[in-house]
Amino acid sequence: MTVKNFLKDRFLLLILHIVCMCLLTVFLRLTGYGMAAAALILIFWALILTVGLCAAYIQRRGYFREVEEILEKVDQRYLLGELLPDSFRLEDRLYREMICRSNKSVIERIRQIEDAQRAYKEYIESWVHEAKAPITSIGLVCANGRKQAGEKEAPAGAKEALQTIALENQRLENYVDMVLYYARSEQVWKDYLIQETDIEEVVYETLEKNRLLMIQNRVRAEVNCKEHVYTDRKWIGFILNQMLLNSVKYKSSHPVFHINTERNKDGVLLILGDNGVGILPEELSRIFEKGFTGSNGRDYGRSTGMGLYLCRKLCDKLGIGLRAESEYGGGTRMILEFPISNYINRS
Amino acid sequence: MHIFVVEDEPVIRRELKALLENAMYQVTAPDVFADIAVQIIESRPDLVLLDVNLPEASGFDICTRIREETEVPVIFLTSRTDSMDELTGILKGGDDYITKPYQAPLLLARIGAVLKRTKGGKDKESTQFTRRGVTLDISGCRLIFQGQSTELTKNEMKLLHLLFLRSGEFVSRMDLVEYLWENQIFIDDNTLSVHVTRIREKLKNIGVSDLIETKRGMGYRV
Repeated sequence: MTVKNFLKDRFLLLILHIVCMCLLTVFLRLTGYGMAAAALILIFWALILTVGLCAAYIQRRGYFREVEEILEKVDQRYLLGELLPDSFRLEDRLYREMICRSNKSVIERIRQIEDAQRAYKEYIESWVHEAKAPITSIGLVCANGRKQAGEKEAPAGAKEALQTIALENQRLENYVDMVLYYARSEQVWKDYLIQETDIEEVVYETLEKNRLLMIQNRVRAEVNCKEHVYTDRKWIGFILNQMLLNSVKYKSSHPVFHINTERNKDGVLLILGDNGVGILPEELSRIFEKGFTGSNGRDYGRSTGMGLYLCRKLCDKLGIGLRAESEYGGGTRMILEFPISNYINRS
Repeated sequence: MHIFVVEDEPVIRRELKALLENAMYQVTAPDVFADIAVQIIESRPDLVLLDVNLPEASGFDICTRIREETEVPVIFLTSRTDSMDELTGILKGGDDYITKPYQAPLLLARIGAVLKRTKGGKDKESTQFTRRGVTLDISGCRLIFQGQSTELTKNEMKLLHLLFLRSGEFVSRMDLVEYLWENQIFIDDNTLSVHVTRIREKLKNIGVSDLIETKRGMGYRV
C-alpha cells in the first residue's frame, strides 16, 4: 500500500473536501469576512484533514502488513478468514465474515475431492488385489498345462498357445502392477520396508520372472551384482522389471544385457546396460517425463510413457539416483545410484 | 513330503494341487475352512501354504492358532503386497511370504528352501547319473567315461543335468533354455548350441562320440 494508492482510494473524499472548502470561502466572502480569516480557516482545515489522512494511512498500512505477514506464515492460505486480525472497522469485519464463508465452502469442496480420491484409490488397490487372483490362476494353469503338454502327446500347437497365454498374462500382470505402484507412489512411506537387499537376488528373480519373454526374444543376460544395499526389495524389483521390459521392447537383433554393480565412494551403482536401439540425444533428457513416448515409443508401438516416469518417481521417493546414458543405435545404460549413509555403513 | 494348502479360490487351489503333485509332493487341499487350524494340526503336514484372505478367518489368526500347537513351517500366499502385511506375517510366525501372482518355479524353489531349512535337507538329490556308460558327477562337476574324466563349466553341467534327468526322451531347446534360466544362467538359443558343441568336444576327448543325439525340431536326447 503506497501513499499514492492510498490517496487515489480517498479521491472522492478529497474532492468533497475541496468542494466544501470552495463553498465555505464563497460563503465567508459573501457574509463579509476578510481574505485572511478565510485563509486561516482553510489552512487549519487542510492541516486537520492531513493529520486525519496520515493517521488513517498508518492504521491501514499496519493492518494490511499484519494480514500479509499471516499469509506468509500459514501454509494453507485458504484458511485466511479464520486468521484475520480483529478490526474496529465495519468494512473489515464484513469482509472477514464473507471470506470466512467463502473459505468454508472451499474447505468443504477440498474435503469432498479428497474423500472421492481416497475412495477411488482404495478401490483401485482392492481391485488390483482382486485382479491378481485370476492372473495367478491363469499363470498356474499355463505352467501346469505346459508341463503336461511336454510329457504327453498333446495336440499340435497346444504348448505354444499356452506359452502365448502365459506371456500375455505376464504383460497384464505388469500393467496391473503399474497401476498399483502409481496409486501408491504418493505415499511411499506407508509401504516400504528398508532392509539389507542382495541386488543379485532381485535381479535373478526379475529375470526368471520374465524368462518366457526373454527367451522368446533371444536375450542373453550377464549378471554380476555382488553388492548389498539398504532399500525396499519390492520397489527395486518393480523398477528393474520396467527397465528390463524396456530393454526387451527396444532390443537389437542380438540382445545382450549386462547387469552390474559398482561401488564408489558415495554409494553403490547398479547399471543395466543393453545393446538395443538406444535413445536419440535430444530425447534423452525427457524419457523420465510422464507420458513421453518419443520416436522409439512411436516406432515400436505400445508405449504408454508411464514405465520410466514411475521409475523416476519411485527412485525419488526412495532416495535413489536415476539417470540414463545412451548412444543412438548403440544401446542404453540405466544407472541406479544407491547412496550410502555414513551411519548405516558397517565398514 | 506332505503339504497342506489353504486357499479359498477354487481354480488356484486345483492348479496349486496339480503343480505340487507334479513336483512329487503329497497334497491336502480342503474346500471347507471351518476349524481349519484343527484340520491342519490333525493332518500333521510338513509344510502349510496359507492364504491370508479367507472367508472365515484371517490367515494370520490361523497361523497364530497353529503355532500354539506345532512348529510346522508356514508360507503365506497372498495378493496383498503391503509391507505391513508382510511384517505381520513374519511376526505371526510365518517362514516365508509370497505374493500373488507367483511363478510356478519360484514358488517351488521357495517351498524347497523352507523345507530344506526346517528339515535340514533330508531329501538328498542323487548326485550321479549314468547313461550308456557315461557318468555325470554333479558334486564333482565332471563327466566320467571308463576311468577318464573331463571338467565341466557350471552352464554345461546344468544343461547335462536336465538331459540326464529326462534321459531317453527328447528335450526341446526351449525347455533347455528355460531350465537354464530357472537356474540363473541367462543364455539365448545360439549360446545353447555353442554349449552343446563344446560338450560334444569334451565327450570326444574322453572317447564318447554319440551320447547326445540331435533331432531337428525336437531337441536333444541323452
